[in-house]
Amino acid sequence: MTSERPPLEPLRSSRRVRFLSDQQLDDLRAATLRILEEVGVKFPSDRALRIFEEHGASVDRETQIVRLAPDLVMRAMATVPRYFTMAARDPSLDLVLQDGVTWFTNDGCGVETIDFETGLARPSTKADVAAMARVADYLPSSGFIWPMVSAQDKGRTSPLHEMDACWGSTMKHVQSETIMGAAHCRYALEMATVLAGSREELRRRPNFSLVVCTIAPLLQDQPGIEGALELAAAGVPVGFLSMPTLGTTAPATMAGALALGDAEIISATVLLQLAHPGTPVFHSIMQAWADPRTGTYVGYPLDQRARYAPVEMAHHWGMPSLGACYGTDAQRPGTWQAAADVALDPFWAGLVGPEIVTGMGLVKTYTRLHAESIILDNDLYQRARYALLDLDVSPETLALDVIANVGPAGHFLAEQHTRKYMRHAMVRGLTHELTPPSGYRDPIEVARERVRTILETHHVEPIEPAKQAELTRILAAADRELG
Amino acid sequence: MTAELFTAMRQSIVDGEAGAAGDLARQALATGVSPLDAIERGYVPGLTAVGEAFSAGDMFLPDMMLAARAMKAAVEILEPALKASGGQRQIAGRVVIGTIKGDIHEIGKNMVAMMLASAGFEIHDLGVDVPAERFAEKAAEVDADIVGVSALLTTTMAGQRNVVQAIVAAGLRSRVKIIVGGAPATQGWADEIGADGYSEDGVASVALARQLLGISA
Ligand code: B12
Repeated sequence: MTSERPPLEPLRSSRRVRFLSDQQLDDLRAATLRILEEVGVKFPSDRALRIFEEHGASVDRETQIVRLAPDLVMRAMATVPRYFTMAARDPSLDLVLQDGVTWFTNDGCGVETIDFETGLARPSTKADVAAMARVADYLPSSGFIWPMVSAQDKGRTSPLHEMDACWGSTMKHVQSETIMGAAHCRYALEMATVLAGSREELRRRPNFSLVVCTIAPLLQDQPGIEGALELAAAGVPVGFLSMPTLGTTAPATMAGALALGDAEIISATVLLQLAHPGTPVFHSIMQAWADPRTGTYVGYPLDQRARYAPVEMAHHWGMPSLGACYGTDAQRPGTWQAAADVALDPFWAGLVGPEIVTGMGLVKTYTRLHAESIILDNDLYQRARYALLDLDVSPETLALDVIANVGPAGHFLAEQHTRKYMRHAMVRGLTHELTPPSGYRDPIEVARERVRTILETHHVEPIEPAKQAELTRILAAADRELG
Repeated sequence: MTAELFTAMRQSIVDGEAGAAGDLARQALATGVSPLDAIERGYVPGLTAVGEAFSAGDMFLPDMMLAARAMKAAVEILEPALKASGGQRQIAGRVVIGTIKGDIHEIGKNMVAMMLASAGFEIHDLGVDVPAERFAEKAAEVDADIVGVSALLTTTMAGQRNVVQAIVAAGLRSRVKIIVGGAPATQGWADEIGADGYSEDGVASVALARQLLGISA
């Protein structure tokens, strides 16, 4: 038995919640512009510094710090596309970014797998990447795919093996957060070109994209930036992700942390626009807190006010946003904390409206994979998706004739109207899987069973043998050169 | 008079005021107070007070950081006179620490360094993106008791093994204990690469360092 992939179910909502006022958005932008002009951002890359110099930025070669005048920033930012397409192996799964639609992915880059069969912790592998891509390929909540864990059995070229594993296991768009450096990126482009058919086709319908982290405070990662330039030249979307941590890598006040992170992202975006005007870039800030007593990285403290403010900041710049949901600080799934941390995330995200969002399915602050977590997080996603759907108020749903027919003190079970609607009125989540005679099963057990069923029954159309052979050849070359 | 000076020294550490701590150190030298006394009766009680307040939950990481910085400012001024007088400060051990090549994650490494410093270890922090050989060079240079290597990426953690090898190649293995940490590291990994210890957080790394050097807390 094989199971068909159900249609995608992005969050759709025209309702909007604003956490920041227009004035606050302007103040934050003004702060970013001042940081860029007065403090500057360090780009430890000759290639980047040269591009900045050519466009009249103030570059201090000694310190590698670039300072950007506001008009240069605004000119460069004017060419950032507001929307673009993240294409997939199957064109019907292409994500055409647009207002009012939010696509989610699974979390990425975990370092430890809790083995699905033995329950024991072990280093993550390429096989885990492939298996989880297949699970996410099946889930309607997953619009695109992140390699969920690291292919630790593949050494230095693991980022390319992670792409290989994903492309072979999903028909959806794949986004990496590990392909760093020009050399690795060139290999990734070569692989993507084989799949797309040509460079032109890849530019038109990029079948992968990359997230590059900036380093708070105000530093860029050399391999990250040089890889990003490589992809931008090919028209492949790149996102810059700042993770300012309150108290350690950022001011301990949220506004300052957001301005700092924004300045990092905008400086990198300006670079890409100067080098390749119009190249697709997305914006992402994932703020966190350092525990003032231990330094522990905390993603979910009690007070997370305006958690999705970064999405508004991105939109204020005219950029699409990668929002941050999930990735509980809890050590294992199925605990109160694992759900409490993240349960509201997809709901808020749906109300603020990032175009794309990461990421379902890892625990222990993005480091540990329990396969069932993705199913549990998917359930929370579906709760949010339903919560945001419009209510149908119409003669048919008001059912006044049915109410009149039953009258006071009757019941509705024997009505044709009820017969038609009742079966769908209560949507079953993981919490309402029946077990005879009338109880409900343990949702964690149900989630594990779903993983097993998907892995056993959902198979993705393999890459054509000729193309697969090419990919394998490119990977082998990468292993020889970079491994 | 000297008692007042010691009280002010203690306070400069508690307040985390490096400028004041330095001024007081100069004052001590000018008035002939023994540098060892200044450190041990003036500044160290300040550090102890901060450490106790931190353990009690009344002070936080920035208090510790600023106290350590103020201490450093004072010691730098007193050190030459201390050496000249043949005196020596008590330290728990010398630690060389850094984040491995290719990796720029530094918060965890900084936490461990700070905790060890506040437990009386002398810290030589090499920063981030540090080549394996650099750990060995520095260990030889400062006669380190412990080398600590941080790695947060699965693609860089192999570098922790290279540090073990570099220490062996430099002929230092019998004198230096090697400890590793960071998100992907585990006790099993530490054993596999022949390191002497692994710890999950800053507090545990103090216990680990003490245990490896045979110091009772
Ligand atoms: C903050 C963070 C960043 C910041 C780092 C800022 C900085 N200046 O340090 C930024 C945003 C820059 C960053 C960048 C990247 N990151 Co990062 N990052 C993290 C994150 C979320 C938290 C790390 C942290 O600071 N923790 C807080 C400190 C206090 O804890 P700690 O580091 O674990 O340290 C404690 C212990 O481990 C131990 N310890 C640590 N070192 C040592 C050393 C010794 C000797 C001892 C005894 C103990 C010890 O004690 C410490 C104190 O308690 C982790 C996820 C996680 N939960 O760990 C990802 C994570 C490590 N990053 C990851 C990735 C992928 C990256 C990037 C490649 C992303 C990108 N696309 O650009 C880049 C890599 C850049 C590079 N070349 O290194 C992945 C790694 C995955 C993998 N399989 O390797 C992780 C796991 C997140 C994820 N799942 O995606 N990152």
